[in-house]
Amino acid sequence: MLTIHNLHARVEDKEILRGINLEVKPGEVHAIMGPNGSGKSTLASILAGKPGYEVTEGSITFNGEDLLEMDPETRAAEGVFLAFQYPVEIPGVSNTYFLRTALNQSRKHRGEPELTMPEFTRHIRSKVEMMGLDSSLLSRAVNEGFSGGEKKRNEIFQMAVLEPKLCVLDETDSGLDIDALKVVSAGVNALRNPDRAVIVVTHYQRLLNYIVPDFVHVLMEGRIVRSGDRTLALQLEDEGYGVIEAEVLAAAN
Amino acid sequence: MLDLSLRPHPLVSQFESLLAVLNADLPAELATFRRDALNRFSLVGLPTRSDEEFRYLSARTFEDFPSAPAYGATISREQIESTITGGIDSVVVVFVNGEAAPELSSYETLPEGVIVGTLRAALAEGTATGFGTIATLEGKLGSTNDERLVDLNSAYFADGGFIFVPRGLALERPIQIIHVTQADHGTFLVAPRNLIVLEDGAEAKIIESYVGLGGTYASIPVTEVKVGERAHLDWVRVQQESETAIHLSTTAVFQAEASVVRSTVVNFGGLVVRNELNADVRGERTETWLNGVNVGQGEQLIDNHTRLDHAVPNCQSFEVYKSVLDDRSTGVFNGKIFVYEDAQKTDAKQTNQAILLSGQATYNTKPQLEIFADDVKCTHGATVGTLRDDALFYLRSRGIPEKQARALLIYAFAADVLEGVSLPEVRSALEAALFAKLV
Repeated sequence: MLTIHNLHARVEDKEILRGINLEVKPGEVHAIMGPNGSGKSTLASILAGKPGYEVTEGSITFNGEDLLEMDPETRAAEGVFLAFQYPVEIPGVSNTYFLRTALNQSRKHRGEPELTMPEFTRHIRSKVEMMGLDSSLLSRAVNEGFSGGEKKRNEIFQMAVLEPKLCVLDETDSGLDIDALKVVSAGVNALRNPDRAVIVVTHYQRLLNYIVPDFVHVLMEGRIVRSGDRTLALQLEDEGYGVIEAEVLAAAN
Repeated sequence: MLDLSLRPHPLVSQFESLLAVLNADLPAELATFRRDALNRFSLVGLPTRSDEEFRYLSARTFEDFPSAPAYGATISREQIESTITGGIDSVVVVFVNGEAAPELSSYETLPEGVIVGTLRAALAEGTATGFGTIATLEGKLGSTNDERLVDLNSAYFADGGFIFVPRGLALERPIQIIHVTQADHGTFLVAPRNLIVLEDGAEAKIIESYVGLGGTYASIPVTEVKVGERAHLDWVRVQQESETAIHLSTTAVFQAEASVVRSTVVNFGGLVVRNELNADVRGERTETWLNGVNVGQGEQLIDNHTRLDHAVPNCQSFEVYKSVLDDRSTGVFNGKIFVYEDAQKTDAKQTNQAILLSGQATYNTKPQLEIFADDVKCTHGATVGTLRDDALFYLRSRGIPEKQARALLIYAFAADVLEGVSLPEVRSALEAALFAKLV
């Protein structure tokens, strides 16, 4: 589904990604872990097409197409979804209007008929229940005045509504208490299926107790320095990033 | 360079010859009222850019300022109904090029004591109580008080709406005053004049609109509003003048004790637009809401001067003005709040925000708070910016195409102000017009 090959990227003059290689197949859950500043969020942003990053080398192929050639809205319509670390407040635009526009624009792009208001209402009702969302949030402006937990929950709710093929969760656990973490994780787990892949970007292994990954990759200084199964995350939890960092340094010398 | 002090401006020199027509069928003391106003005007003449209150208006605005009297135009009912708020179910009084147009108006049976009609009729019958006493800055604070446009209107006013709601009566049905202007045969000056009186405990919902149907002209409307004790006024002002028109308006509101005024002004049209909105708060425990939405495109100048005179204690005011400026348009906001020495416990909040959509658009903002009391809460904030990149990316990342995402954000920014419009039908009409203008 997703092939990242030798990806190099920078912001202004600062090189952040220095040769990422990653293969994600449908149904898989990959965790990308790493210390602060390792390039995790940059990778998530580049997948979604956030402006401000320059890809200097390498490629990203998504379902056979060049992802880097697509603008953000096309990526969304093709099935890429980024759950933001810091969801943006948009005063004046109601959650419902926003989601309906987003869904219908993506459907239009894919040549599917737009959903009428009753169809849309039916579509979101089940998702609201699934996420345990307070339905009054729907008529409020997007994320405006939402608590940290409500914002993250709203991200996963949007993901449920838009039904993407590839879900990228950027530090979705940050700022969540344990109860909110459970709700958000349950939402993500409910969306797991054989056709859908998930990339979980996180600093801590805590989230991975709830969203259990098939693969764990450790990102340091813009490269994946180690890959393994979920036990790698547990090892990081015990030992911290320092041990791997030292091993990587030793190997390089 | 023409020196106006040496040769009188036509607005001054032609006045006496027009006075008989201007004042036809009106009491003789109004001729004196007009003449006095003209005399005050002639001492200062038309403004120039060196006059503080008019510094953002181009010199050309007043060099080419029309002085010819307005003539008639033929307007159909369909044209009225197709204006922004023309389709709203309401009592409608229409004026075309300054003159009453009874054939386009919809007079109907109203509760006893309510008067909805023309100012000329009210002046002739002696029911226009308070006329000429509200739009004045006499005895008020301020070092740049400038009343020449009110004087010019007082000298030349043609006609306008008169609304009177008697004591204790809550008028449910909205009332609309529509001033239509069409200048097909050359430029002219039109001076609409309206008077709105709510007696103690009265309630009304009023829409005042200025619509241009083509041509180049200048309109200098003055609206006086008197709001009695405990009275409630919901007021919406829509300005959609012709693309080449000049619109220089003054609205003066007087508020008595415990009254509430909610106002929303919308500026979509005109080439040179300057609105002065003055609220004179003379009774305690009042609420005053001044909201505004402005959209500037092309070469438009949209200048809003607001003024709150907090003269007595324990009053609240809330002000939110937003502007969207594109192309080479210019926006101006000057928000004066005077808190007089006695006006303790005044709570005044002022916000103005602009989004610039083009590198050539400009916005000039000047909050001007002059506070002479020591126990007050006054806040003001001004922001000028472009669309937020993070919001734009957020919308796009969910599949909304860039063009549509931009339009949605601009619309949301401006439409926010319309939340304050209490009549749902009016709010929808304004939202639709805003959407059509921005998308």
